Amino acid sequence: MPGKTLQSLQTQPTSKWQLFLKRFAKQKYIFMLVIPGVIWFILFKYYPLRFIYNAFTNYGTVAHPRFTGLANFQRLFLSPNFWRAFRNTLILSFYNLIFYFPIPIILALSLNELKNHFAKKAAQFVIYIPHFLSWVVVGGLFNMMLAPSDGIINKVLVSTGILSEPIYFMASVKWFRTVLVGTEIWKSAGYGAVIYIAAISSIDTQLYDAAAVDGAGYWARTWHVTLPGIRNTIATVLLLTLARVMQMFEQILVMYNSAVMDVADVLRTFSYVEGLNRGNVGYATAIGLFTSIVSVILILGCNIFSKKVLDEEIL
Amino acid sequence: MQVSKSRRVFLIVNAIFMLLVCLAIVLPLWMVVITSLSSNEVAAAEGFVFIPKGLEWTSYQAVFSSSGYTGAFIRSIGVTVSATALSMALTTTMAYALAQRELAFRKFFMNAVLLTMVVDGGIIPFYMVVKQLGMIDTYASLIIPMAITTYNLILMRNFFQSLPESLMESARLDGCSEIGILCRIVLPISVPILAAILLFYAVGHWNRYFEVIMFINSSKKYTLQVLLRQLIFQSEGDGTYSVQVNNFKMAVMVITMLPILALYPFIQKYFISGLMLGSVKG
Repeated sequence: MPGKTLQSLQTQPTSKWQLFLKRFAKQKYIFMLVIPGVIWFILFKYYPLRFIYNAFTNYGTVAHPRFTGLANFQRLFLSPNFWRAFRNTLILSFYNLIFYFPIPIILALSLNELKNHFAKKAAQFVIYIPHFLSWVVVGGLFNMMLAPSDGIINKVLVSTGILSEPIYFMASVKWFRTVLVGTEIWKSAGYGAVIYIAAISSIDTQLYDAAAVDGAGYWARTWHVTLPGIRNTIATVLLLTLARVMQMFEQILVMYNSAVMDVADVLRTFSYVEGLNRGNVGYATAIGLFTSIVSVILILGCNIFSKKVLDEEIL
Repeated sequence: MQVSKSRRVFLIVNAIFMLLVCLAIVLPLWMVVITSLSSNEVAAAEGFVFIPKGLEWTSYQAVFSSSGYTGAFIRSIGVTVSATALSMALTTTMAYALAQRELAFRKFFMNAVLLTMVVDGGIIPFYMVVKQLGMIDTYASLIIPMAITTYNLILMRNFFQSLPESLMESARLDGCSEIGILCRIVLPISVPILAAILLFYAVGHWNRYFEVIMFINSSKKYTLQVLLRQLIFQSEGDGTYSVQVNNFKMAVMVITMLPILALYPFIQKYFISGLMLGSVKG
């Protein structure tokens, strides 16, 4: 059968449509394989876009929702809670960028200098573990370790005299952001090193030998060979991190509480609580839409920047 | 090559640094396990037990004698297994098809998939779809809507595309069907990437929290993650102290980590090779 189709394709030039049908008949099984996935994508990735319409209605608060134009957005931009969530999103992302971002690079460089093969494998084995634990486990673990009554961290800090009395870190406006950034580092930094380890291992070893012949020490080799070798990777990860700024969510949903709302409520938790706990569906959709639009602008901006500066697209 | 003295000092300092990093990860987990295995008295007195003082299963017995946790554990396993199976089936078939050069509209499908990494309706529209499909408060809501992770799909497609075309061509000439080629030729040589993606999906489904509290209303259907969150956070959040001693909380935590940690050593080598593949391709 396939042979016959092929032959008829070669012998008689047909219209585009017939060509397509023939091509389709030839590969109907491949097409059947793609269909379930396509249906899934339509249903759960594209069909939801239809409900963005709710952002322009008062859905959720009244029995018969109607079109209200930009009223939700007006309410949004006048709401102090919205600006608080926006500010927290930016501040927490900024902290992550300053404190979290360099750590995977340092870990990868450090791992690369472990000369014992077994130690290297063991260290890699250990540092990837936290990534596979849920935020509930990691958040719960730190919540217990940081507890004021019997948490190990407070105990150690008090018994060594660093603190005179325990701090309730999880309910402290002053400390909560530190807790968020710290747990993010604990959970993700090791796994974040993978991409740099791959990049370092793909650097031509001849470059190191050449540098050693020139008398370059470790720092000189790191500075002149390793870092330039992973520069593009660093830039790509940096841009991806920037592009995902607005996605911050589950960690905070798990860990925050009413005492630290002022420093921890971000746009997506704000939208979630408004829509699903308070039932203001239209308003919450508007918050989500705003977040998505800012997100798209960030991603496209980063992609354009990446194309210009790095000569490669991150998307 | 001669190793200078400063170089040797550096290597030692570096090794110590790595050791400290590993300890920072292992120590808390060690204490969780040891505390969960301690008696009520020891756990109540110390909070976090570092050096074991007699290990026992009391807290685990307490956890599994309460039907709430046993049920949640079984539900978590059921949801994870079925969701991972669906994820793998959908992802493998779609990735394979998208890797075939002769697929009609291939470029269009690919762009449509990639676009979903940028365009996102937000949480509420996603909820509305699941609600319209009548899935709210059903286990289906924890299995079907999160079946495909776009990133995993692309990772797998890139892998399939890197396989030599001649392999499938010769099978096709031998009269092998597409599904036969996929099952008998492609899948067996793709074990590393399949194992890696299986782990990613299993971990994702097992660790799921927010979708569960979003889609599931009846607490009888909650998974282990939700119960652990309630056990640890809700008791402290409103000022009232939890009645449970740390060993009980930590036993639940260990049970929540266990399936992943049990799976991790076996799949680790695959997932690293799979990851490397993904990260090299960008």
